[in-house]
Amino acid sequence: MIEVVETGRYTSIQDRGRPGLERFGIPTGGPADWFSAAVANRLVGNQPDAALIEVTMTGPTLRFEREVTIAVTGAAVADVGDANWRAHRAGAGSVFHLGRVGPGLRSYLAIRGGIDVPLVLGSRSLCGVGGFGGGVGRPLRKGDRLAVGGMVEAAALQEPWSASHRLAMRGPWEIHVIPGPHTDAFHESVLHRLSATACLVTPALDRMGVRLDTPGLHLDGAEALTTPMTAGAIQVTTSGGLIALLADHPTTGGYAVIATVITADLPLLAQARPGDTMRFREVSVTEASRAWRRLAGWLDLSA
Amino acid sequence: MWGIAPAGDRALLVTLGETIDPTLLGQVLALDRVLNDQRPAGLLSSVPAYASLLCRFDPDLTNAGRLGEVIRQVEGRLDASIPTRPVVDILTRYDGADLAEVALRTNLTPAGVINAHAGREYLVYCIGFAPGFTYCGTLPDELVVPRLSSPRVRVPSGSVAIAGRQTGVYAVASPGGWNLIGRTALQLFDAGATPPVRFKPGDRIRFVPAR
Repeated sequence: MIEVVETGRYTSIQDRGRPGLERFGIPTGGPADWFSAAVANRLVGNQPDAALIEVTMTGPTLRFEREVTIAVTGAAVADVGDANWRAHRAGAGSVFHLGRVGPGLRSYLAIRGGIDVPLVLGSRSLCGVGGFGGGVGRPLRKGDRLAVGGMVEAAALQEPWSASHRLAMRGPWEIHVIPGPHTDAFHESVLHRLSATACLVTPALDRMGVRLDTPGLHLDGAEALTTPMTAGAIQVTTSGGLIALLADHPTTGGYAVIATVITADLPLLAQARPGDTMRFREVSVTEASRAWRRLAGWLDLSA
Repeated sequence: MWGIAPAGDRALLVTLGETIDPTLLGQVLALDRVLNDQRPAGLLSSVPAYASLLCRFDPDLTNAGRLGEVIRQVEGRLDASIPTRPVVDILTRYDGADLAEVALRTNLTPAGVINAHAGREYLVYCIGFAPGFTYCGTLPDELVVPRLSSPRVRVPSGSVAIAGRQTGVYAVASPGGWNLIGRTALQLFDAGATPPVRFKPGDRIRFVPAR
């Protein structure tokens, strides 16, 4: 068992989420930074579906009752030493302190075997708004106890994850987008002007989305008829700000979407910190696909 | 003509219209049915709402262009009638935090608001936003009020609310910007049930004042 001795800012259990249940208003969920989470599972030899721990801004302190093999990826964590982007054995009775996170916003702690909490609607991920999943239906708290599962598929990797196969964890961010789907709601010059603007990440962010300001650029957002949303959708609000959606986004929304972040860049959107600047650059679907294949290739190459 | 546009690199958004209209909902639901029956290669799932349908796909198996063509082929050929189902009563205690304010804004008494809201049948247009949130329409003209100027951080589960021409029920506690006029004990979301939601688009409901 693993005991949560102290919790961090927002520490939750995540697996690959609940795709396909959006028609019930259930967010897809899963790790905000899918790439770092996948690497963490790979490092410890887990199946891709194994549940791990997502940490935001500050991490938890955990006590391992038995020896476990762990790895920490994503945003930098100063205190974790040997577990940083590599598989590391933590002894029985050891206390593991994740401390402050950054640069980057979210770190992933995988434990060999995965976190064993009940499947709810097909997933172990916490659904924060629904109050279910993640073992306890809420972020982890001091005193929670977690079991380790048996979802392994390979030996843990011996080497640290190659630094050339990691994503940058520091702004200024360049995020690639595909225009639309609501291109008709905006004059065609608007996306060009937005691309030329250094957007500012505000402190209003969580697993649902990130609010951004657009200094020097006034955008006219409009309320639209409630329509389904996707992760990466960049909504323009009626006050002219942007909301870029993340894994736990509301399944529907009422603002027009000017552009959508490509799947390969969702991890970057998830790692941006308040005060960082971000530029959006338009790409084609072909480029989006190439960018995704590059990351998928990194995950395969290290097999 | 339907709008068919990429929503990122793994989804397509089909926009059938821009208004709250039972005919449009009928078309959305018919398209949803056809796609789920035919299962074109690479289609993973679809999400219906009011007048649009999101189609998520696996980019290794299809692409936006190919899926868009399949959708174009059925445009104008759908049976858009909504199957008639029995009306479900939602027993509602009309004691919402915004009832008095809504009465002021609409020049009605609180009893008048209740009569206007409870006195008709509604169509479920969408389950969205948060688990089980049930969007219904349409409200009578006399009850149309804007959303709150600043949303509440937490709206209790079961809250019955109105905004614009819509009325809805918050199935789980969540943030929310609609005007709260009442509350029901009916459970609209249960993570342990199959399906996990009480209603689906196309259902008919009626709010019945609890004594």
